[in-house]
Amino acid sequence: MAAPQTLVQPVVVPNTTTEDNAWRFDVFGRWPWVKRVVRMPSFQFLLILPNLLLFYFFLITGLVGTPVGNRNIIIVFVWILWWVVLITALVPFGSRVWCTMCPLPFFGDWLQRRALIRVRPGKSPGTGNQFFGLQKRWPKKLSNIWLQNVGFLFLATFSALLVTRPIVSVVLFAIMILLAAAMALVYRLRTFCNYVCPISGFLSLYAMTSTVELRSSDANECLKCKSKACIRGSEKGWACPWNVYMGKLDRNNYCGLCFECVKSCPNDNISLYLRPFATSDVSIKGYDEVWKASIMLVLAFSYSVVLLSPWGRFKDWANVSETHNWGGFAIYAVVQILLALVIFPGLYYLSIRVAKWYAKADGLSVRELFLAYSYMLVPLGLLAWIAFSIPLIMINGAYIISVASDPLGWGMNLFGTADFPWTPFLPEWVPFLQVVVLLLGLYYSLRGLHRVALKLFSDPVQRNRSLIPPTVLLVGVTLVFLRLFIG
Amino acid sequence: MTNKVIYKEAAAALSVLAILAGLPFLLWYWRNVYVPGKYPPGTQIIHLTAVADGGIWTRDPIVGYSYWWKTPTRVKEIELKQGSHVVLFLSSPDVQHAFSLPNLHVGPVPVPAGHTVEVGFTADHTDELNFACTQVCGRDHSKLAGQFVDSQSRSAQH
Repeated sequence: MAAPQTLVQPVVVPNTTTEDNAWRFDVFGRWPWVKRVVRMPSFQFLLILPNLLLFYFFLITGLVGTPVGNRNIIIVFVWILWWVVLITALVPFGSRVWCTMCPLPFFGDWLQRRALIRVRPGKSPGTGNQFFGLQKRWPKKLSNIWLQNVGFLFLATFSALLVTRPIVSVVLFAIMILLAAAMALVYRLRTFCNYVCPISGFLSLYAMTSTVELRSSDANECLKCKSKACIRGSEKGWACPWNVYMGKLDRNNYCGLCFECVKSCPNDNISLYLRPFATSDVSIKGYDEVWKASIMLVLAFSYSVVLLSPWGRFKDWANVSETHNWGGFAIYAVVQILLALVIFPGLYYLSIRVAKWYAKADGLSVRELFLAYSYMLVPLGLLAWIAFSIPLIMINGAYIISVASDPLGWGMNLFGTADFPWTPFLPEWVPFLQVVVLLLGLYYSLRGLHRVALKLFSDPVQRNRSLIPPTVLLVGVTLVFLRLFIG
Repeated sequence: MTNKVIYKEAAAALSVLAILAGLPFLLWYWRNVYVPGKYPPGTQIIHLTAVADGGIWTRDPIVGYSYWWKTPTRVKEIELKQGSHVVLFLSSPDVQHAFSLPNLHVGPVPVPAGHTVEVGFTADHTDELNFACTQVCGRDHSKLAGQFVDSQSRSAQH
């Protein structure tokens, strides 16, 4: 029987899913109209449609607009504006809300569901909906984020090309759209988003820190629920595209915030909660996620060296399409890949070995400690990316104003700002902001590390000893970033 | 399935199709109908792009899809109708250039990379009109030159 709906629900409830004492604010309980909005059958479509319009426009401008990156809207709006909004606002304050409105899997979803708004009840394998296509299972060996890790590292290696040449961005996005559509026709649900999309990979990791979460209001209700409509779907909502069962959901990583479960839950037992930043989801569950954290941190470092540091040689090496210095590019690529996949994870592993030895933590395996403590790389990684992104918007943000008026470089002047000169915004503030953001990252990482240690060790001496080596590593990484940002 | 659901689904599909077809059409309309329509009838509208590599003035579109793989066709002469009003849309896909038409005292007009700059003049000069890039833009800068010629006298010669 469906739980009776009450008009007044508790606003701040204790967090029951993550065994900590962090506060949670029940958004649906406090503002029921939000729930009504997300339960509208057309909710996701209406969010995607304007994005689809913009994105399609960007693809066209990439094809027929000027090849000069800073004068073409696809480069300026995607790699400056979108990136900065995504990393500084959407992820920390909206979890994977980008996935709610992402146009990349739109055509795949359309082909798979043959519907844009309506829900088709049915009996496609494992679901309560009718899907089209081959509906094959994704191989179990690939049911992780390794493909996303490799894909993101590969793209990052060629990022100088990606963020300066419009056609390269067009080709990349076209491949992603086609791949998402093809995979939707062959495999079940959103396989592309779950296992292949390189953007999804880092969103999944950093969504852990977000101040919002979608969770069951009462986990016991889920245990009693026989329909499992949140994952299987029903006549009211589609089966979870991310294949997530709300009854066991305790992290943001793989919840794409499509709200289909809210529509289909027969017990009205799912709510959207606000929560403190980087506090609740502190468990890393696999090596793929550890390496994702390492890759992201190393790339934030590498991008800072290439794009922000005074060492022009590295920029020349990375920008191989202009300099044609293939030897330098090979050095840059190999060093970046080694740093991300071998050297930094090796340093982290070493710190864990020393931590285990120093704390005499015989009850814990190195593997357990390695996975558990790796959360410390998440907040610092995210805040390092935000620190890296600050100059993107403050130094190069003026391009947004001029390109908005002349998106193709065709001589338009839609808003009268086409000739707005390149004007850095408070450039003298950039290093200060970067330092503050980075130190916040260190603080949240240390706090997260401590929270994990509290769960692992009851003996305070053991706990504190286990914390010292990873803390040294974190401080060392922060100092390296500080050196890059403020010299 | 109720009629309401069918209508909503159809409206959603139509809105997507409208975007897919409408955006390219709008851009085509802007470039080929709206912009030429701003000028008096008979105005000659010419798009010219300066390419630093090779020192080429070209009428080929040097845009995202064609920048890397297509070698632009060099334009040495452009025919103008005597007495007609001419509007040039000058653009650069690489570095800053500057357009100059000394006989008519046009320019030098800076053409920054990625921008399109509009220049107008009346072709009331019977001689050949030489134009060139007047900003050192690369090793092939000296090759960035061309001529406007009178189409009537050219056809009379032939």
